[in-house]
Amino acid sequence: MLGRGLLKGLWVTLRHFVASYTKGPRRFPARYTPAGILARSEPDKDGMFTLQYPFEQFEMFPRFRGVLVHLRDPETGQHRCTACLACERACPHGVITIEVEGRGRERRLKSYLYDMGRCIFCRLCVEACRFDAIEMSQFYAFVSTRKDQVLTLEDMLALGDRSGIRHSGEAWS
Amino acid sequence: MGFLDALPATIMQWLRSTLNLFLPYWGTEVVVALVKVVLILVLAIMPVIVFTWMERKVLARAQDRFGPNVAGPYGLVVAFADALKILTKEDIIPAAADRPVFRWAPALVIIPTLLVFAVIPVGRGVIGVDLNVGILYVVSVASVNVIAVLAATWSSGNKYSLVAAFRTVAQLVSYEVPMAFAILAVVMAAGSLSTVQIVEAQAVPFAIAMPVAAAIYFVCALAEANRCPFDLLMGESEIVAGFNLEYSGMRFAMFYIAEYAHVFIIGALTTTLFLGGYKGPLLPGWFWFFAKSTAVVFVVLWIRATWPRMRLDQLLDFSWKFLTPLSMANLIAVGVAYKLAADPYLSAAISLVASGALVAVVLALARVAARRSRSRQLRAVVLGEV
Repeated sequence: MLGRGLLKGLWVTLRHFVASYTKGPRRFPARYTPAGILARSEPDKDGMFTLQYPFEQFEMFPRFRGVLVHLRDPETGQHRCTACLACERACPHGVITIEVEGRGRERRLKSYLYDMGRCIFCRLCVEACRFDAIEMSQFYAFVSTRKDQVLTLEDMLALGDRSGIRHSGEAWS
Repeated sequence: MGFLDALPATIMQWLRSTLNLFLPYWGTEVVVALVKVVLILVLAIMPVIVFTWMERKVLARAQDRFGPNVAGPYGLVVAFADALKILTKEDIIPAAADRPVFRWAPALVIIPTLLVFAVIPVGRGVIGVDLNVGILYVVSVASVNVIAVLAATWSSGNKYSLVAAFRTVAQLVSYEVPMAFAILAVVMAAGSLSTVQIVEAQAVPFAIAMPVAAAIYFVCALAEANRCPFDLLMGESEIVAGFNLEYSGMRFAMFYIAEYAHVFIIGALTTTLFLGGYKGPLLPGWFWFFAKSTAVVFVVLWIRATWPRMRLDQLLDFSWKFLTPLSMANLIAVGVAYKLAADPYLSAAISLVASGALVAVVLALARVAARRSRSRQLRAVVLGEV
C-alpha cells in the first residue's frame, strides 16, 4: 500500500519515544553509576543509551594516556622525584619545567610545573623516569578557559592520589 | 465542574461590573478590550515557551536522548535561557539590506499569527471576538504571511534567502487552495463561518465525520506553517539557513516566536475545526481545548522526528495533482452526505462512509498510477534510456 513506509517510520519513532520513558536505567542514581553506563552500552538495549557527558564519563582503559600525575612513596608519603631532569629533557614540547635547589646530596626538587595545555600525552617523560615518580592517569576531562593551564607538584600529587595508581608502568608490565 | 467551565466568563463579568462602578460605558468597553488583547497576546506567546521545550524534548526522546535537562526541572526553563541568549546578541543589519523593510518585516511576520488567535474559542464563551466570518478571517489573515516572508527575504539582499522565498511563496500559495477546500467542507457541514458555531455544530467531531477533510487540512496546515516535512524554507544543507538567514538577535527571535505560534495555530485550528474544540466530558472546556491542541502539536513534532523533507517539485505536485482534486471530491462527498440527512449523527455516518469510499477510490487510482510509472521506468531501463 502507498504510504506504508511513512506509517512504519512513525511507528518506529513512537516506539523509541515511549521506550525512552519506560525502559532502561532512567532514574537519577542508577543512571550515573559505572554499572548504569555499562548496562546502557549494550547493543540491544532499548531506551536511552547516550552518555550524559559532564555528569558521567567513561572509565578509560588502563593504558590510556591522560593527565600526567605524581605518585607517592607509600613509606614516606612524599613524592619520589629526585629532580634528575630526565623527564624535562625527554619532553619534546618543553611542557615540564623543574626548579632545583641545593647541590650534591642536598639536591632537592623545588618546583615541578606541568603545562597541560601544550602536552601531547606521548608518555616519553614516564619512559625516561627511573624513580617511579610519575605516570599518566586515566583523567581526560580537563577543559579550561585558560590557555596556560599549569599544574603544580601539589596538584599532580592530588590527582595521583585520586587516580589510584601506585607504581609507574603498572598497566604495561 | 460547571463552575470551572464558566470561570473565565465569570471573571470577565466581574471585571465589567466592577469597572462600570466608576467608568462610563465606553471606558469599560475600552478597558475590557485591552484586557482581552493582552490575554490573547499571552495566549499566543505562552505556547512558544512550552512548545520550544516540548519540541526539543520530543525530538530528543524519539532519538533516544534526554533533551534539555539542565536548566530547571526537566529543562523546563530552557526557553528563558534561550531568550536571555538572544537578547545579548548583536543586532546586525547587512549593508545590502533595504533598511526600512528589513526592520519591519519581523513585525509583519508575527502580527498575522497573533491576529489569528482573536477568533479561536479557547473555552465555552472564551473568545477574543466571535466574528460571524471567523474562518474567512483566519484564512485571509494567515495569507498575509506570504507577503511578510517575501518582504523579509527580499530586503535582506541575500541570494540564499531569495531562493528560500521563491520556494516558500510557491508552497504557501499552492497549499492554500486545498486547505480552503477542506475548511469549506467543514463550513458547509456546520452551516456557519463563525468558529464558535462550527464548534457547536460538532455533535460528532468532524475528524470522525470527514476524516479526509481533516487529513487534508492537517497536511496543508503543516505546509502553511513550514513545518516538517514541508520545511523547504529552512533547508540548512541547501540554502544556508532559509529566509531568516540575515536576521540576528531580537529580530530573529520574532521569526522564532512566529514559527512556534504557528505551530500552536495548527493545533488550535485543527481542534476547533475537526476535534470538537472546547467540547468534552466532565472537565472544563478550556482544559479540553488545550489538551486537544497539545495532542495535535505532539503529532506535528512526532512527524518532525520521523519524516524527511520533501523536494520542491514533489511538494507542488502533491498539492496540485493530489490534494486539490481530492479536496474538491471530498467537498462534493461531504456536501451530498450532509444534504441527505438532517440528523447530525446520521449525516456524520453517511459522510464517514462517503469519505471511506473516497479513500478507496484514491488508493485504487494511486495503485494504477504507481504501476504505470513503474512500467514506464522499467521500459526506460530496458531500452537503455537511463
